[in-house]
Amino acid sequence: MTALFGDPRLGLGLALVACCIGIAACAVVTERQAPKAIAYAGTAGALGLLWAGLLGLGGAHFELQLWPTPLGTLHLALRPLGAFIECLSALVFVPASIYSNTYLSRYYSHYSLRWFGALYFALLASVALIPLAHDILSFFIVWEAMTIASTLLVAFEHRRQETVEAAFWMLGMGEAGTLAALAGWLWLAGAGSIDFDALAAAGVHAGPLACLGVFLLGFFGFAVKAGLVPVNPWLPRAHPVAPGNVSALLSAVILNLGIYGIVLTLDWLAPNLTTGMGILVLVIGAVTAIVGILYATIDDDIKRMLAFSSIENLGLVATALGASIIFELQGLPAIALLARVAAFYHLANHAVAKALLFLIGATIDARTGHRDMNRLGGLLRTMPWTGAAFLVGALSLASLPPFGGFVGEWLILQSLLRSGEISAIGVKIVVALVGATIALTAALAVTCFAKAFAMTFLGPSRSGEAAPAEAPRGERVAFAVLATATFLLGVLPTYVIPGVAASIAPRSSAAVADLLVPPFFQPTRADGTAALPPAFVADFHALGAQVGKGVVPGRGLVVMLRGGPRNPVIFAMSMTYFIAVLGTILALVAVLVRIRARRVRRAPAWDGALPRLLPELTYSASGFSNPVRVIFAGILHSSLEERRERIAEHFRSAILLTRHDTYFAERWFALPIVRLSLAVARALARMHHGRLNAYVGYSLATFVVVVTIGFISGALAPR
Amino acid sequence: MNAAKFSLAPVDLAETSISELPGAAVAASERESSALAALVCDTAGQELRLLYLFRKRQAAGWHALSVLLRPEQRRVPSIVGPLHAADWREREIEDLFGIVFEGHPRLGDFVLHDERWREQLAPMLPSASLSDSAPVPARAWQPRSVLRAAGAFTMPVGPVYSGVTESALFLLETLGEDVLRASPRTFYKYRALEKIVENSKPEDALLRVERCSGTSAVAHAWAFAQAVERIRGLVVDARAQTLRVFLAELERYRHHVAAIREICESTSTLVATSQASLLEEELLRLCCDLAGHRYLFGAVTIGGVSLEIGAADLRRALDRLREIDRRLIALEESLRYSSGFLDRIEEVGIISFEAALSHGLVGPLARASGVPDDLRSSQPYGPYGTLVFEVPTESEGDGYARLRVLFSETKQSLRLLEQLVDAPEGAAPPREEPAVAAIGWSETPRGACIAYARLHPDGTVARLHLTTPSFANWLGFYVAAEAFAFQDFPIILATLDLSVAESDR
Amino acid sequence: MSNWVLRGLRTGIKSTRYPRSLERAPGTTPGLPASTTLGSAADAEALASVCPTRALQSLEQEVRVDDGRCVNCRRCERRAGARADWRDDFEWAHAPTPDGPTLELPAAFAGSLHVLVVDAGDCGACLSELAQLSGPYYNMQRLGLFITPSPRHADVMVVVGPLTVNMRDGVRRCYEAMPEPRRVVAVGACAISGGVFAGSFAAGDGVAGAVPVDLVVPGCPPPPLALLHALLVVTGRAAGAAPR
Repeated sequence: MTALFGDPRLGLGLALVACCIGIAACAVVTERQAPKAIAYAGTAGALGLLWAGLLGLGGAHFELQLWPTPLGTLHLALRPLGAFIECLSALVFVPASIYSNTYLSRYYSHYSLRWFGALYFALLASVALIPLAHDILSFFIVWEAMTIASTLLVAFEHRRQETVEAAFWMLGMGEAGTLAALAGWLWLAGAGSIDFDALAAAGVHAGPLACLGVFLLGFFGFAVKAGLVPVNPWLPRAHPVAPGNVSALLSAVILNLGIYGIVLTLDWLAPNLTTGMGILVLVIGAVTAIVGILYATIDDDIKRMLAFSSIENLGLVATALGASIIFELQGLPAIALLARVAAFYHLANHAVAKALLFLIGATIDARTGHRDMNRLGGLLRTMPWTGAAFLVGALSLASLPPFGGFVGEWLILQSLLRSGEISAIGVKIVVALVGATIALTAALAVTCFAKAFAMTFLGPSRSGEAAPAEAPRGERVAFAVLATATFLLGVLPTYVIPGVAASIAPRSSAAVADLLVPPFFQPTRADGTAALPPAFVADFHALGAQVGKGVVPGRGLVVMLRGGPRNPVIFAMSMTYFIAVLGTILALVAVLVRIRARRVRRAPAWDGALPRLLPELTYSASGFSNPVRVIFAGILHSSLEERRERIAEHFRSAILLTRHDTYFAERWFALPIVRLSLAVARALARMHHGRLNAYVGYSLATFVVVVTIGFISGALAPR
Repeated sequence: MNAAKFSLAPVDLAETSISELPGAAVAASERESSALAALVCDTAGQELRLLYLFRKRQAAGWHALSVLLRPEQRRVPSIVGPLHAADWREREIEDLFGIVFEGHPRLGDFVLHDERWREQLAPMLPSASLSDSAPVPARAWQPRSVLRAAGAFTMPVGPVYSGVTESALFLLETLGEDVLRASPRTFYKYRALEKIVENSKPEDALLRVERCSGTSAVAHAWAFAQAVERIRGLVVDARAQTLRVFLAELERYRHHVAAIREICESTSTLVATSQASLLEEELLRLCCDLAGHRYLFGAVTIGGVSLEIGAADLRRALDRLREIDRRLIALEESLRYSSGFLDRIEEVGIISFEAALSHGLVGPLARASGVPDDLRSSQPYGPYGTLVFEVPTESEGDGYARLRVLFSETKQSLRLLEQLVDAPEGAAPPREEPAVAAIGWSETPRGACIAYARLHPDGTVARLHLTTPSFANWLGFYVAAEAFAFQDFPIILATLDLSVAESDR
Repeated sequence: MSNWVLRGLRTGIKSTRYPRSLERAPGTTPGLPASTTLGSAADAEALASVCPTRALQSLEQEVRVDDGRCVNCRRCERRAGARADWRDDFEWAHAPTPDGPTLELPAAFAGSLHVLVVDAGDCGACLSELAQLSGPYYNMQRLGLFITPSPRHADVMVVVGPLTVNMRDGVRRCYEAMPEPRRVVAVGACAISGGVFAGSFAAGDGVAGAVPVDLVVPGCPPPPLALLHALLVVTGRAAGAAPR
């Protein structure tokens, strides 16, 4: 029995069965019952997936050879990296499914919820299978299924023009990326097997040109799905038009799959990667991060702002991956591992926090009818729980303790700070500059989320509308799950890091865990040897590193990077102790305030003795971020399009300003390519002039060419 | 109104009708390039009389247009299009008398704030019922915004703000970085001075005119006293005239030093602020020593001055003033070479020459934009006709130009004071014919003040109207405060030197 | 830059030594009329009738002064007949009524007092005197007195002006926005009794119409030394004059 429950195939089977039941149910039930079916079946399936993923992280794995095809046998296998991605996906699918129960009611009689359900389960199944695929064919079959399902879900409100346009962008760019990635992997496979193990072996022996080609195709191909500059214009278009729970899945699950593809490619090419490739990944990550957060700060649409924030966070993940490549090549494997752990930790944080914020954004959209932060305000009064959850997500993405985003950002910055140990001057400078850019990104992130929370939930209602009611219980449960996950990721890093380590370096996961989480609770190993120098352990025990020993499980509660003899501790921090002390202080303060109760008199906010404080006399969302817009105008290129003034009898009665923001990657990268393609297509369209004789001529010419090639190759073939 | 024709001493008056008013006003302003100096509404029996008073710029002399409105005529065409200086004057009359100026785009919520007073109160009309104890249903105040853009909002400053400042509300419209448009809302300090003085003795009215703006009490009192003296046909003897000028120039010197201190304070040039503050306090003590009151209240009376100051006292005061002037010149030199200070006040709050002319600005504000207007030289009153002095002007119209004008005028004031101490006793001016209504004027430290007075047959005040320089110069605020950084706002306010008390009355 | 530093150092210390010693420099106070005993009741009545704001009341041969109404017009001092005696001190601040609530703030405020200045229609003279307090001659900060722009940080609200109708609500809201303990000081004849503007339909008869007043400072305007004295009275470091 234990063997059964310890087998990840049970969980996976449960997930796939739940998807099938779900699809079948959606074919059968009525529109009203469809959300409930989605919620129950989706939750069940996602929980099964989560369970399987956790088992996979714990070390369980399996292999499954399915039916053979002309190209190779379809091969499914659960590896630790895949298990990590499964855990993340499941962790987001559970609350998203719970949320769908009440959220989808807004589509009654407008669009078909049964189709939504079918696509939802198709997406869940494909997302479950992608990390399991272990050969190129099965991978891309499931990848395409995921692409199609997600595009159709994004295009759910298909009667709106902008939705259809956004879906086309998503599909077009997604397919281009998929093709590039497929081409790269096939190039790597060469004439050999399409199995991932074979690809790993091919990567070891690849020549420099092949390595570069595969790297570029694979990296940029999957960068489309991962949302990196310059191939991400589809992302800020897709998010505002997608239904709320689909946005959460898009940002928290599907972008992760892009990173998964990039990591696979980089792992196969690892023996032959050059520093240049590492720097390319690093710089693209940094540029993505800074561009993403700048556009997020100046945007007033909640969902588009969160989309740009996703771009920023995925850029941070890419930066950490690039850093790990560079450190590995510069002979600093420990820091390379640190950077890799940081990348995955940040990926996890982002998934959970971003899903939370997207779901809340969808609730706000459903309750107030719009997403414009300039017209929101004061929602905290009637939506306290929603607001508290939003605050948790916002603090996490602004990298503030005690939430998960802080730990991820901290680890990334710490790894970039190790640039001092790099010997090559040029590389050192580049890494240092990237570190400065990431620091700027973190500062801007605080601005962005301060604006998001304050303008949405605090202050007066800027549109004068009545404040909406609190979200229904199901949605609040979903928020609570994600908020708790964010909090736990923040205060229990010493439990998460070994899990992450297990997924990225399964053979040396113990070494990685040792690297970052010194076992203060168990200084002596099972075989009697000392895991750490006794004097070191004694020093830290004196500082309190043994508090909690015997009470909480695990290795210790301190995250630390140990250095050489001259600098024994490079950095050390403990979020668990921090939150314990902070909580104690706050509790003490609360008790003291209660004991020494003073008379409290409530008075209206001081407004300078105005006749009355109107919403238009308070800061607007655009106004809050306008200084950022002005300072970075060179990068943003948001143009002030029109300024009209009406002057009547010396009285300036109106100044009208309209502003139009464009995303620069769209303007300078995607649109030129689109225009070029259209130009080429137009040129080629001249072939279609309608003259039948010419068409017959085309056929004849093709026939002649093919026969000639056949003759020549036949003549040249060796006997 | 009785059958006698209305006359206004010493003004060249022309009657006109409502329909001809706009054309006549434009013609009047073009006559020897006159400026609209005042717009007075007075009762004439059951009717109302509108007086458009013009002042010639290039010669001495006043002329006016008079329009009689019958009780049922309450709509008058606005002249704010061709004569922008009429903007606030028409709004004030609309609020206080209930006359609607057709064509004026911004009537309402001016003197009587919407949220405090009921509609159509018209308190200055004799028939207004002001002792209404019923609670006023508050109309909601809605600010008028000019800037229309996504995310545009208005930053309110006031009415209670900063440290020791007068109550006024400023609405700064912005997108979040630069302020694109600033609108003031004044009359929070409206004390209805012109209503209180009705039916009181001119001597008692003089007390209120003095305290219209306490920092330029002598100049305002002199303007009102001139009007009453013209009506009564009084002659002020030469000795009293000399003392009047002495006190007025002393007040001007002190006011300019205070304005310089405020400009330094707004730019946070702390040592310069302290230096100017020392000089200001010494001048206040000098005034108190000389005339018994730090702000020279109670010095000017109808017909002369209320106290005797001997020549020896005047000379002693002048010696102290010369010493203060030496230190003021040293302060000016130091400020001239403070690049941080100059950076902050140069190119800030610019008012062009054309704007100063068309908006009817007066005083050092207009002179810094190149308009050489000074009542002491263009419409001489008292002994100013015989005294030698210059009218300093600058052309840039920015904050630094206004500061330079202030410094230059202090030197001119000292020059005037020196001429007065040893001046021989001049001949008494000729006796004027008594009149029913008259205007008096003086160049206050902030600019031209014109007092219109009409007395009852028993000598009490029938109507008093004060056109103060700050009231005229508020129009310059709209021009100066356009597209500026928020941090420059206190500096713009300090260099404009507008007194809210003087404007609100 | 260094030029300013040298200039400041060369100027030296100009601050008055008040309250350690009574300031007697000429021109620091315009003074107020004092209670006068005259030769006859007729003289007293003639003197009292001269005052435009009814600040002088005759009682037999004595003329009493209601200093909250005196606007410093000097008619009683410069007239041809019997004149009023003149007091040239400046410690005039007193409680509005003899039996009011506690005037002084707790001892904690003695060394650090924050003052909010609210203008309710003042002519500019009282505000100008208040502005002199921050200058080198009076230097209120050496006594621990500071001016703050927000009522949330203020301990004392100083109101000047006769409380115009347009500002009445504003003054009331300022008062309500102040945390306790709080005191209100009415500065100047206008704030105490309306001054020359009493009886206007647009201005009130003093600040007491909107907020409870704890201390009044007569004068038109009261000189900076009188204002310093008033603030010291509020902090308990000086004794107020006897209430009228």
